[in-house]
Amino acid sequence: MNISENQCPDQCECGGAAGGVKNRFPAWLKKRLPARDRVEPVLALLKELGLGTVCQEAHCPNTGECFARGTATFMILGRVCTRDCTFCAVPGGRPQPPDPDEPRRVALAAQRLGLRHVVVTSVTRDDLPDGGSGQFAATIRALHEGASATVEVLTPDFGGRREDVDRVLDAAPEVFNHNVETVARLYPEVRPQADYGRSLAVLARAAGSGSAPIIKSGLMLGLGESVDEVRAVLADLRRAGCRVVTLGQYLAPSAAHHPVVEFVEPDRFERLGALALEMGFEAAPSGPFVRSSYRAEEIVARLPAKTVTRADA
Amino acid sequence: MAFEVKLPPLGDDAPDEAEISFWYVEEGDTVEEGQDMVEMVTDKAAFTVPAPVAGTIRSITAAEGDKVQVGQVMAIVEQ
Repeated sequence: MNISENQCPDQCECGGAAGGVKNRFPAWLKKRLPARDRVEPVLALLKELGLGTVCQEAHCPNTGECFARGTATFMILGRVCTRDCTFCAVPGGRPQPPDPDEPRRVALAAQRLGLRHVVVTSVTRDDLPDGGSGQFAATIRALHEGASATVEVLTPDFGGRREDVDRVLDAAPEVFNHNVETVARLYPEVRPQADYGRSLAVLARAAGSGSAPIIKSGLMLGLGESVDEVRAVLADLRRAGCRVVTLGQYLAPSAAHHPVVEFVEPDRFERLGALALEMGFEAAPSGPFVRSSYRAEEIVARLPAKTVTRADA
Repeated sequence: MAFEVKLPPLGDDAPDEAEISFWYVEEGDTVEEGQDMVEMVTDKAAFTVPAPVAGTIRSITAAEGDKVQVGQVMAIVEQ
């Protein structure tokens, strides 16, 4: 983990002067671990069904809390990514072929966990002709049929191919999420194989689709972006048709990843969340521990019911 | 009855260890169920680990600065 090598930035309140592990994170980045007896059943189920979660792969600090609440974000299409984003803990390399039985097992896991709203994401599969869109579609259908759950997909950009975006939309997910992750200027250093405009185009394509899912995106803060740049992204997302945006603190998986440039204070998260609502977003969870799918089911439940086409009422 | 306070597992691919920042409690202290006992740090955040039950801390088996593996016993609480 090389904690000692990962120095605290000067602008953060913890100072870094002490140099000790104690002071690496500001007070607002402290979580409480859940009792292990509430986490273990979820872990056992995932292991039994051979399923991955982005919670574990990304070392998400909310994992314990979410697992203890009996929820998880499934990561399909393997655990190896074809891109090298500098913020992400998922390893790059040569991925395995898609597992045709995976959609069924995701639905089975959702059913056994009693999930009414299921978030499904994936690694980026630039090696597959359809970018993995077929597996997303099959998983959405399996969840609708097998688990009667509403489905939120958090997709890669599919290289910007409209037919792949459409293939996912044809399976009628209730929420279509694609994260822009950061501001346009930082793409070369944070998402080197991605393109800001391409990601916006994916969102706009989804927003214009007949199945009319809720369009959602998200950003990590603390990578060195300015407030004005965040404001510009929010405006772009609104223009693309986004109705929900999430803002959370970027945390580095290791010293080899993009450094945390800034620990953004809770106040600024609050102000940016309020700004997003003023700009027309219908929900804008914003806070240090907010992640793309954090408490996603509550957001869907709050949005107007008519937009959730398969609400399990 | 004695309860072991362990670092909870978060899966095969999640970090398998965390470093103890500091103990909020000492051997012999009484704790309420859910009371924070120890603060730990991983690559992504600082964590507090709550007491599994109310009781008296019989022993603390990992020190500040130690790297603790998932599942490792850090303290024993006597109910």
